[in-house]
Amino acid sequence: MASQVLPQALHMIPRNQVQPFNPVKNRGFSAFLSRGPSPLTTSKVSVSGFHSKFPVGSSFSCFARRGFVVRAESNPEGEGEAERNENGVEEPETKAEAEVEGEGEGEGEDEAEEEKPKEPRKPRIKLGDIMGILNKRAIEASDKERPTPDLRTGDIVEIKLEVPENRRRLSVYKGIVISKQNAGIHTTIRIRRIIAGIGVEIVFPVYSPNIKEIKVVKHRKVRRARLYYLRDKLPRLSTFK
Amino acid sequence: MRTVLKVVDNSGAKKVMCIQALKGKKGARLGDTIIASVKEAMPNGKVKKGKVVYGVVVRAAMQRGRCDGSEVRFDDNAVVLVDKQGQPIGTRVFGPVPHELRQKKHVKILTLAEHIA
Repeated sequence: MASQVLPQALHMIPRNQVQPFNPVKNRGFSAFLSRGPSPLTTSKVSVSGFHSKFPVGSSFSCFARRGFVVRAESNPEGEGEAERNENGVEEPETKAEAEVEGEGEGEGEDEAEEEKPKEPRKPRIKLGDIMGILNKRAIEASDKERPTPDLRTGDIVEIKLEVPENRRRLSVYKGIVISKQNAGIHTTIRIRRIIAGIGVEIVFPVYSPNIKEIKVVKHRKVRRARLYYLRDKLPRLSTFK
Repeated sequence: MRTVLKVVDNSGAKKVMCIQALKGKKGARLGDTIIASVKEAMPNGKVKKGKVVYGVVVRAAMQRGRCDGSEVRFDDNAVVLVDKQGQPIGTRVFGPVPHELRQKKHVKILTLAEHIA
């Protein structure tokens, strides 16, 4: 890996000393574009070819300035620094934390300061992903208390619900899932059943703390995502003992 | 207004037509009380055709949201006839009823019900 890294750094050094940082970065990228995928960014190559070249170029340009040609531990920091900007491409697997990483850190250090001990840089969270991350966290928190099985349309499920009004026992709702609406933490399923001769449909939020248990009892083969046609059919099709 | 509802108790009426919703500008929902006129009745019953009665909506085809985020929806619109004080006229209630009625203090209807959804 070092052998592949070193020629790139050496390639960058003469240019850096001549021009300011920003134009050099652009020129350096075009040079790197022609190279093959870097071993450092193997996980990100699938996202965009262009993007994977960026971090290698800028990281090594700034390190080369300060005389660090190659450092094993600097690689993740360099990647983190470069992913902060330029493209709007986002890799959720690396950005688990919510800290905003110091964006101007790399450039400021280049211009003015001398070397100081580098703390590991955290990748920056893009604005559009915040809701996705919050939803995922909320789902994980609710999954820890009660695991939710994988539900699909056509499953015959049994739900045990705690109702504050009922106070005593858990209410049991059985029925067929006729639709599932995915909305992060407010993912809901619609259960249909014939109760005492009348069809009843109830919408349950799957990750609600009131739901004490969800169990898939059976599955019926259906060829639709929403089974609203059951409303017009015979009650026999929506009856479950 | 002008909604025809099914009567699900044994008071004698079969179908009533809503003429006024007592609460709410936009109409009555599940659990609300309405004033209705009897359109169809059994021959020997406590109420006769043309009588103006009060009723409590126990089943509605419009979904009603609950405070935990769930919603209930029935396949038909049904009403239980009550008197001015809120006590049911009949002695039996057929079909499922929602437990929103407990909050509206219609406990008598809940005890008579076959099934509480």
